[in-house]
Parts: sequence; structure tokens; C-alpha cells
Amino acid sequence: MSAAGIRVDGVSKRFAHRVKGEVYAVRDVSLTVQPAELLTLLGPSGCGKTTTLRMIAGFEQPDAGRIFIGEQDVTGFMANQRNIGFVFQNYALFPHLSVFENVAYGLRVKRQPEAEVARAVGEVLALVGLQGYDRQFPNQLSGGEQQRVALARAIVIRPRVLLFDEPLSNLDAKLRVHMRDELRDLQKRLSITAVYVTHDQEEAMAISDRIAVMHQGAIVQEGTAEDLYRRPASEFVAQFIGRTNLLTGRVLSADPGGVELEVAGQRLHLAGETARVTVGETVRLVVRPEGIELAPGGSATGIPGMIVSRTFLGEKAEYQVRMGKDVLQVTSYNPVQRGIFPPGQAVMLHFPSHGIQLLLGSTA
Amino acid sequence: MTSIAATATSGWRRTLRDPGLSATILILWAFLALFILFPLAKLLARTFFEDGQITLANLAAILRDANHRQAFWNSLLLAALVGISGTVLGFLYAFTAVRANLSRAWTTILDAASLLPLISPPFTTAIAMIFSFGPRGLITYRLLGIKGFTVYGLHTTLFSETLTYFPIAYLTLKPILAAIDPNVEDMAFSLGSSRWRVFRTVTLPLAVPGLANAFLLLFAASLADFATPLILAGNSFPVLPTQAYLQITGLFDLKGGAVLSFVLLVPALVVYLLQRYWVSRRYYVTITGKAGAQTAIKSLAPWARAPLLGLCLLVAGVTLYFYALLFYASIVVALGANHAWTWHHYQVVFTEGLKAIHDTLIIAGAGMPLGGLYGILLGYLVAKKAFPGRQTMEIISMVNYSLPGTIVGIAYLIAFNDPPLVLTGTALIIVACYVFRYSPTGIRATVALLQQIDPSIEEASQGLGAGSGTTFRRITLPLVLPAFFAGLGVVFIRSMTAISATIFLVSINWTLITVRILENMTELSLGPAAAFSVLVVLIVFVVIVAISGLLRRFRAAGAVEVTSILGG
Repeated sequence: MSAAGIRVDGVSKRFAHRVKGEVYAVRDVSLTVQPAELLTLLGPSGCGKTTTLRMIAGFEQPDAGRIFIGEQDVTGFMANQRNIGFVFQNYALFPHLSVFENVAYGLRVKRQPEAEVARAVGEVLALVGLQGYDRQFPNQLSGGEQQRVALARAIVIRPRVLLFDEPLSNLDAKLRVHMRDELRDLQKRLSITAVYVTHDQEEAMAISDRIAVMHQGAIVQEGTAEDLYRRPASEFVAQFIGRTNLLTGRVLSADPGGVELEVAGQRLHLAGETARVTVGETVRLVVRPEGIELAPGGSATGIPGMIVSRTFLGEKAEYQVRMGKDVLQVTSYNPVQRGIFPPGQAVMLHFPSHGIQLLLGSTA
Repeated sequence: MTSIAATATSGWRRTLRDPGLSATILILWAFLALFILFPLAKLLARTFFEDGQITLANLAAILRDANHRQAFWNSLLLAALVGISGTVLGFLYAFTAVRANLSRAWTTILDAASLLPLISPPFTTAIAMIFSFGPRGLITYRLLGIKGFTVYGLHTTLFSETLTYFPIAYLTLKPILAAIDPNVEDMAFSLGSSRWRVFRTVTLPLAVPGLANAFLLLFAASLADFATPLILAGNSFPVLPTQAYLQITGLFDLKGGAVLSFVLLVPALVVYLLQRYWVSRRYYVTITGKAGAQTAIKSLAPWARAPLLGLCLLVAGVTLYFYALLFYASIVVALGANHAWTWHHYQVVFTEGLKAIHDTLIIAGAGMPLGGLYGILLGYLVAKKAFPGRQTMEIISMVNYSLPGTIVGIAYLIAFNDPPLVLTGTALIIVACYVFRYSPTGIRATVALLQQIDPSIEEASQGLGAGSGTTFRRITLPLVLPAFFAGLGVVFIRSMTAISATIFLVSINWTLITVRILENMTELSLGPAAAFSVLVVLIVFVVIVAISGLLRRFRAAGAVEVTSILGG
């Protein structure tokens, strides 16, 4: 399978809404998926991710913009002219056809010889671990098995791109983790370009080469899972990906060596923070729960706080800590060795520079 | 993500660009106009036009006749009484079936006894009533020795119609009661309610829309019933359908018949509108298929179970007794007088009656595939395609089904008696009447099936490279096959059993078994009438078994279930 990239160029889609009139489901979205890459569209429900995927598939036509698969401009092509593999949220298996016939469907549409159909279907069923299921019907299969049939049916036609619309959301939690590893493995082995839609940030981080976060019909940030986690560009991304403490601080001084901030009445030094900030400006800070360290109260340094509540989870402990007006989430790993703070105890909070991210241009 | 309006307009354009599709839509419109709108328009014209003038004189003339006015009120009274008694009986039946923790065998018996009247010619109960309670009736004369019991009148008509039509209420109420989650009742128990209080405050209120719907369905069925009152109502209790029939066949007054059937149209229309726009919006219970946790049903006290079941079995017993009596009457010389065993009645049926059997089978056989095809075609277009006038098409397709048969029959008679299209005396007029009157079941089944089929299934096919033609042929069509069989099954069954419309359309060239039964009844040759009825029940039974087999086969392959081919 020769992998083809995808280019979405300034695509918009409007819908008529009964109350609001004309609304944009997708507004001026552009993105590029490299050959053999898996890109995830991540966002809350109603953000336009599924509509974007359906436009790439050809189930919806954009009102503006162009879509390319490989070098070919496929805008205006119907789905059956695009050579795509689509995996639906509800699998959309043909209920009246056996597993074999479901998978064979796309090959028969292409009028492949019977021997070739049998060979290809057998091969793909083996690939997804469904040997011996040929004669079963969809209603006789478990959710995970239906999922595999849907996947086999999509890849057997050797599509140029593989599109997933929340394919795991109907499975239970354990199976979901298992299937997403399988999906990822298969996509890598076949090196097919893939676009994956989900609202589950953990799933997105586990499966993707890159993630595009969508919000209100637009892409708000693109990058690897690590990029998005460590350097969120907005409060929305910071809060949607991982758990986040959002703090407000005032810039006391800024020089090439670092930035001096005042947070909750205390001075905080950010080394290596090269952001262009102006003295006196109010900024927002993203601090991940594991980026805060706790020390017993009465220590010489840090910002004083008090434990509000504690959840012991074995390899980690999660605290709610009051600091001034804010209540922060703090995660402490290996608590058995490092000590556990009971609720009500006074503590000192330390903010190591590497755990803090300044949000620019989005002062609250 | 809702896109109704935007896709609707673009959908129109896409549909109209497809020449095959536009042609199909145009042809269907032509048929609907010719066989539904045109006859109705002619009926109204006959009622309200005289010498090119709009006039109320015809209507006034009919309404001045005290006998006709009496018939109007009688019809309403009978329909209301049948509605009440049938709904009560149906609810009792349904409640017992759903809430009495019956074993499978009991449920099967109740279902079978309630199904029999639905697949029989409409006057089988009436014939059995005459056998039992007539001047030489088995029960009144022989058993009880009562002389001069009047079998004709409101009381017997009401009894017979209740027994014939209560299964409609049963079939309407059973799924509604079954869909009431027992956990809701458990919840009320846990809050301290007594059984009676739970029934009164939870179960019954949830069933109220179903009860209203059942009442209206029974009201309409009784209002339209022609055969039962013709046999049982007698001269003292005239009703509109029989008056209209006598006006036409007895007095050869086509105009009078038209006006009378128009009078019948008014209450029928009110009931139809009530049902469509009022009751159907008041359902609380939605059938989700997502059952709550299994819980033993506690809403029926153990002591109440036996009397309820006993009552149901009594009703079932009466039904079965009537059918056994019918069969018995067909194999003895003369029931009530000479009980010697004979094949004679069947000999009559298969010699003199052979033409009627032959004609009926040809008409039913021709109507069956046409009705099935028309049903899925119209259902598919209405459910899946966007085109101007889509909703209007759906409503018009239901008109002949919703109207009393007498109206449809008289309208066809008026419309196709004169040029431009003379069909009187042909088989075509009967076939057309059946197809357009009884296909709506198939249309509804198709629409219901298609609504259960997720659009993504068709998209999946498209995504795999299939065009819309391939998708329809390989995916959609196989999935709606159950609706096709259900649709043609109903057309066949009704072609075998219906009479109210076609009584006006038969001729020397083409006659029907049901009409022969009626003729036998009026000639008082009850033996052959019974033999004909038994034959019809047998044929219909065989066809139903065959169709259920087909349905099961196609369902085994994973298609969606059509619960009852008689549900409508």
C-alpha cells in the first residue's frame, strides 16, 4: 500500500440551525497529514471533529475549501470515488451479511475475481485475529469482534487513507485499551495514513503521532502529545489535555536569565523562560499537578499552604491543597517513601521551573 | 450537527437530478391521483354538485329521512359501545398476558384465540352467532328451549363485533404494557404503595394513551364494519354502511349511496385526525429495547391471577367454540335440524363456488406482488429520499386505508363506471382497490425498518466504493425484505377476507368468496356459507405460516424484526 498524505485546505461547513440560524460546524480548518502518519482530531462533542472527518471521507461536502488525498484534489468526489477505509462508531456492519461477506463487500464492488476475494478476506481476517468467524453474523459477535470486522472491512480494500470515527467508544474500558494498542500496531504495520477522531484525551495521546485539538469548529493547537501537554497554547488546551492548575501571576522583572513573578503573594523565579513579557503584566500560568512539590510546613522556602483532602492511590497520592484563595491539585508519586500528609496539615509548596508554563496572549 | 434544512434543499436537487428516481416518483403520484384522489373527488362531486352547481340539497334530502338519521346515530352508538367493551376486554387480555407471569403455553393459547378473528372473513362470528342464538339456535333453542329470542339487533351486533375486534385492542395494548418497566412499579412499591395503588397511579396512567388509541381503532373498525350489521343488525337497527349498500343495490340510487357514505366519512375523519394528531403524541412509554434489571412482576396479587386468566380463557373459549361450530356446520346437513354427516356443502363449494375461489385466488395472487412492491417502493422514497411533496405523498397513501371500506367501494364504483376510465366489471378494479387500500401496512413496515437501519450502514457501503444503485440492491433491499413479505401478506389476507369495499365492485365476470358467503347467508344456505368460511380460514392460515417462515428465514440472517404482519 503506497501511503498517501492528506491535505485539508481552508475547509468550512455551515449547517442551518433551528434556533441560531446558520452556524459553522467547521470554520476554515487546514491541516496536513503526512503519509503513514496517524493524526487524531481531539475535542469535546460538537467541536466539528466528526464533520471534518466526514468531509475527508466524502460523506459531507465542504461549503468552502479543498481536500487533497495524495496529490489528487478530491473535493466534490463522492465517498465511493475516494478509495477510503472508514470505521464507524457503531461499526455499521451489514446485519444481513456474514462476516466473510461483510469483509468481501468492498472487493465485490470492485469486481475482484472470486479466488482473489477469498484470499484477501482470509488474509485480513487472520490479521485481525478472526480466523474461523467467516460464517458468523454480526449479531452473533461481541463488541470487540464487531470492531475487528469493521476494521477488516475497511482495510481489505487497501484504502489510501483510513478514517476512524470514535471507533472504541462502544467498548468497555479494558477492551478499549487493548483495541487501541491493536489499532495502532496494525496502522503502523500496514503504514496507512490515518485520521482518528476521539473526545478521549488519553486515547488520543496513546495512539497518535500527532494530535490536532479542535474547539468550536476550529483547530486550536496541533502537535505531539508531549508538545500539547508541556506547552499548551491556551487555557482550553491546558484544561482539555491532562489535569491542570491555572494560576495568575504578575511579572516583577524579566531578563534573559529568567522571569520573576509574584504568585499568591510570593516571589517565583522561572529560569530559562524566554517569553516576551513586560514588567507589571498579569499572566496565566499552567502548573501540572505533578509539577508541584510538597514539603512539611515550617520549611524555609516555598509558598505556604494547607492540605484540604487526600486520596491515596498506591503508587501516588493526590492532594487538594489550599494556597491563598486557590485550591490546587497536587500529585505526589511514591508517597510511601516520601511521606503522606494528612488533611489539615500545613505544607510548603515548591514550583520547580520545569513544571510551569506561561500562557501568552491569553490573560484572563 | 443538525443539518435538516440545509441537506433537505440540496437533497431535493440531488433527487431530481436522478432520472430513474424522478420517473418513479412521477409514476407513483399518477397512481395515487388515479386510485385515491380521483375516486374521492368524484364521490364529493356526486354529493355536492348538481347540474354544475354546488348544492346541499342532496345532503339535506338524505338527512330529512328519519331512517337515515337513525342510522347515523346508531352507527355512532354501536361504534362507541364496541370501542369501550373491546378496549376493556383487550386491556384485560393484555394485562393478563403481560403481568400474570403466565407460562408459555397459556400465552400461546391466548394469542391464538385472539388471532383467529383477525384472519377470518369478517362475518364468521356473525354466522356462528346465528347458529347459536338464531331461531333454531343451538344454545337458545336447543339448550335453553327459549322460543322467540331475537338474534337481530344491537345486543348481538355489539357482542359479535366486540369479539371480532377486541384483538386489535389486545395487539395495541400488549406492547405498551410490556414496555412499562417493572422497575417503575417496583419503585412505587418501595415507596409504600399497595398493589391497587400502584395499578391506579402508575400502570394505568402510563397505559392511558394506549387505551385511547385502542378505543379509536375499535371505534373506526366498528364504524366501517359492513358484514356484521348486515347479518345481525336487522331492520330495527339500521347503520350507515348497510344503509348505503341497500340504497345502491336495493334502490339503485347511486347518488343516495354516495351521500350516505359521505355522512359516514365525517365521523371516520374525526377519529382519524384524533388518532394521528392527538393520541400518537401522548405516548410516555418508548420502546427502547433496553430492559431494566430483571425483576419478578409483583403488580398482580396472586389471588387475582386465577379469575383474570379464567375470564380470558372464557373469551378464548367462546371464540374457539364459534370456530368449532362453524366447522361442524360445514360437515352436517343442516345445523339445528339434521346433524347427519355430509360432504355436500364442500361439494357445493368446489362446484358452484369454484369460480369464486378461482377469481379470489387470481385477484389475491395478482394484488400480492403489486401491493408488496408498491409498499416498499413508496416506503423507501418516503423514508429515505428528499423530494417536494414527500409528506403529502405519505398522507395520501394512507387515505384509502383509513376510510371505511364502504366509502372506498362507492367512490370506486362512481369513478370508474363512466369514461374516461371504465373499469367496472374487471378484475383490475378489485385488484387496484385492494392494493391501494391494504398496502399501507407494507409502507409502514418499510418506513419502520428503514428508520431502524442506521444511515451509517449505507455510508459504509458507499465508503467501500459502491454507488447508490449497488447500495440499494445489495444493502437496503435485503434489509427491507421482511417489510416486503409483511406487506404482500397483508394484501393477500385482506383480498381473501375483505368485503366492505369490494361488495360494490364485483360483477358477473369477477366475484369473490366473501361475496358468495354473503349471498349464501341471505339465501339461508348456511352450510355452504360455513364451508366457504372454513376454506378461507384454512387458506389464510397456510399463507400466514408460509410468510412467517419466510420472515424467520430472513431474520435468521440478521435482518431487523417485523413483529407482527397484522399490526396495523
